[in-house]
Amino acid sequence: MITYLLRRIGHGILLLFGVSLLLFFLQQAAPADFLTDMRLNSQISDQTMAALRAQYGLDQSVPVRYLHWVKSSIRGDLGISFAYNVPVSGLIWPRIQHTVLLTGPALFISWLIAVPLGVLAAANRKPWIDRLFAGSTSLFLSVPDILLALLALLLALSSGKFPAGGMSSSSSSTAIASSHVRDVMWHMLLPVTALIIGSLAPILRQVRSSVMEVMDTTYFRAAEGHGLGRFTLLFRHALQAAANPLITLFGTSIATLLSTSLLIEVIMSWPGMGPLFLESIQARDLFVVIGSVMFITVFLLAGNLIADILLFVLDPRIADPRIADPRTRVDA
Amino acid sequence: MDSTYAPLLRVAGLRVAYRTAGGARVSALRSLDLEVAEREVVGVLGASGSGKSSLTQAVLRMLPRNAEVEGQISFRRQEILTAGSRELRNLRGGEIALISQEPALALNPVLSIGRQIDDVLNAHRSLSSQSRKEKFQLMLRDVGFPDPDRILRAYPHQLSGGQRQRAAIAQALICGPSLLMADEPLSALDTVTQAEILDLLTRLKSQMNLAMIFITHNAGVLSALADRIVVLRDGEPIASGSLPQLRLSSDPYVRGLLCPQKNLFSSSAKPASSRGAGSRDECSAQPILRVRNLSKSFVQKKVFGRKAFSVRALDQVEFALEAGTTTAIIGRSGSGKSTLARCIAGFEKPDTGSVEIHAKEAEKSSRAVQLIFQDAGSALNPRFTALDVVAEPMLISGQLNAADRKRRALHLMAEVGLDPESHLRKALEFSGGQRQRLAVARALAANPQLLIMDESLAGLDLPLQAQMLRLLLDLQSLHGLSYLYISHDLNFISLFAENVIVMDQGRIVEDLPVSMLAQSSHPATQALVAAGERVHAAGVEVAQ
Repeated sequence: MITYLLRRIGHGILLLFGVSLLLFFLQQAAPADFLTDMRLNSQISDQTMAALRAQYGLDQSVPVRYLHWVKSSIRGDLGISFAYNVPVSGLIWPRIQHTVLLTGPALFISWLIAVPLGVLAAANRKPWIDRLFAGSTSLFLSVPDILLALLALLLALSSGKFPAGGMSSSSSSTAIASSHVRDVMWHMLLPVTALIIGSLAPILRQVRSSVMEVMDTTYFRAAEGHGLGRFTLLFRHALQAAANPLITLFGTSIATLLSTSLLIEVIMSWPGMGPLFLESIQARDLFVVIGSVMFITVFLLAGNLIADILLFVLDPRIADPRIADPRTRVDA
Repeated sequence: MDSTYAPLLRVAGLRVAYRTAGGARVSALRSLDLEVAEREVVGVLGASGSGKSSLTQAVLRMLPRNAEVEGQISFRRQEILTAGSRELRNLRGGEIALISQEPALALNPVLSIGRQIDDVLNAHRSLSSQSRKEKFQLMLRDVGFPDPDRILRAYPHQLSGGQRQRAAIAQALICGPSLLMADEPLSALDTVTQAEILDLLTRLKSQMNLAMIFITHNAGVLSALADRIVVLRDGEPIASGSLPQLRLSSDPYVRGLLCPQKNLFSSSAKPASSRGAGSRDECSAQPILRVRNLSKSFVQKKVFGRKAFSVRALDQVEFALEAGTTTAIIGRSGSGKSTLARCIAGFEKPDTGSVEIHAKEAEKSSRAVQLIFQDAGSALNPRFTALDVVAEPMLISGQLNAADRKRRALHLMAEVGLDPESHLRKALEFSGGQRQRLAVARALAANPQLLIMDESLAGLDLPLQAQMLRLLLDLQSLHGLSYLYISHDLNFISLFAENVIVMDQGRIVEDLPVSMLAQSSHPATQALVAAGERVHAAGVEVAQ
């Protein structure tokens, strides 16, 4: 298990290297850089331009700049932002915390709702329940995330009861800690709700179909025939046997939730990764773009790793090398 | 004392029908009456499709959603069909227990055996953890586990088929029910294990004062166990009585179930014994198949680690097969027989050794060997029509044009006893027996000299097995085919094969003519013979 983990982490680091290389060479293919807009300004002389280029290191060749960036990353800076003139990591870190503040609770709550609801939908096969389930999940699946975010914004503006953006009221940062926490949570309410609504439908569907599949198996029917209670039957025997595809989905749901979150952050002006990412792309602030993408990659890798560890822990068959071989069983 | 007679279970006028998607109704049971007294074992015997399994499901009220039920089922005078969900739950597992056909599928793969048994006990009794523990120990020892603690911690995949069936039996009986319903509890196990489980059930029956409904298509297993046998055909009981009484029946269906061999000999085919030595001399000049020094290991990588497991599936296997003869390879599951078949057919590459067909390397004459699998249902492409299935080998060899292919395919279908008119039906629309015929027709389309059958008849019930065997014998004399029949079962082999090769742990432990089987001194062979006699008492008796 430990060696497996180390190997997976090693793979992850290699992957990050690949992503950074790709990003470096892809941005080279872009027709402009950070200073392009300045060049159009006739008041700035060619000498100043050249000096600026040298200062930002844009006059060097791509491999050299990549090496510089790697060195800076090892120091923990991830390069210097052109626009803010500070290390990228210092710029990104608080933003990541803010994004996690949205996606973490959203992830937790949407699974907390979806699992029992999906199990119950699988267990109660009445035509009207089936139709309601199919109809509502299709509806939520077909609503684009951006519409959800705009609706949340509309709700905030029209009702006037919810904060329409930002992470805290201007007055609260100076106030005492407990009321600041309450204020931030109040601001989280709409974006988190939008995130949950956006991510619920696919999870619900997967839970229901996985559990339904288990309910068709011989072992589930046998357990039913032994007179087990409904709760034990559904939440231990069915859910645990149905868990594998759900765990895999959990890993990937982190990724989808993150991308939805970036969008919602931009629209609801939540000071997370979303607005920073967008702004850095528009300004061609190279190292911030790369840093952001690297962090998103880390999230995806972590999601998959967590899913694999959960699978390993929860399914006794995965850890067992003897599974396919009848002659190495306990005894024969 | 209560003077009125009250059976443990009373089924009266039970009808079960299934609504199909097209709106039609398919009848599974029509007006079944059945009574089971306390401590009585009733065997229910029937071919597949006779409605046997609908009976157990109806008694536990576990029929699928599309089933319609009429009639009365009462357990100790308690109506089951109208019982509330709470009463029903108390009956299930508490009073009436079920063990099902596939021990591999009847246990939850992600829960430990202990957890699963504990859940059943918890559902019906509230006991302290200490007394639960004692009960587990007792029960698991009763079903023949010497070390209960290890089994309680184990997961189903860590147990062998027989162990799983024992665990499933322990799970079913942990609450001390009065009635055990066993739905084909042996058919997924190898013969030796079948005999062990049968002994276990016989012992538990008297030890726990169990009444039983034992459902099977194999009359042999009932001879020792059942007090009374009910024969079902198309959902109706057509005969009942003890096994000796039923043997006197003149009904062809009953006779077919009790002694399928009789059907076999009523046909034109001659039994193996009368074909015998004469033909062997003519062909012995050159063996059709010669296997030399064949070894094959499977290396299995550990999923999350570096260690690799190596399993010796075949260990220096050598034998030869004469043209026009039949050889059976028998052995318990995991003895390497299927790997051998796959090596001969060219699906696996052996590590060492050679397979020669007509003294040529097997790879160069692969079409001369055809393999027929156990489950024709999954071996045929469901989207193909019967014609596509049979014509495909000819299409691949590319020697015939479309019209000739069709003519030959229809001819082959007729030869294996299928109606050529049905050549446009999809493979899955045929019944199990018909699909196996289709698989044989497809194999014949490649003009093979050697047919390898890997448990090819095992999925069929006895009357169908007998029909298929007759067909295979006819085809053998017609085309001069050689057969290599692979089985864990001694049931038909004594009639079918000239030679028997016994395999154990990847080695050939014996290679002998079938008539010498009973005199063998090798323990593996003896175990197979003894188990075969035990399980197929009826069949072996008739054969002798």
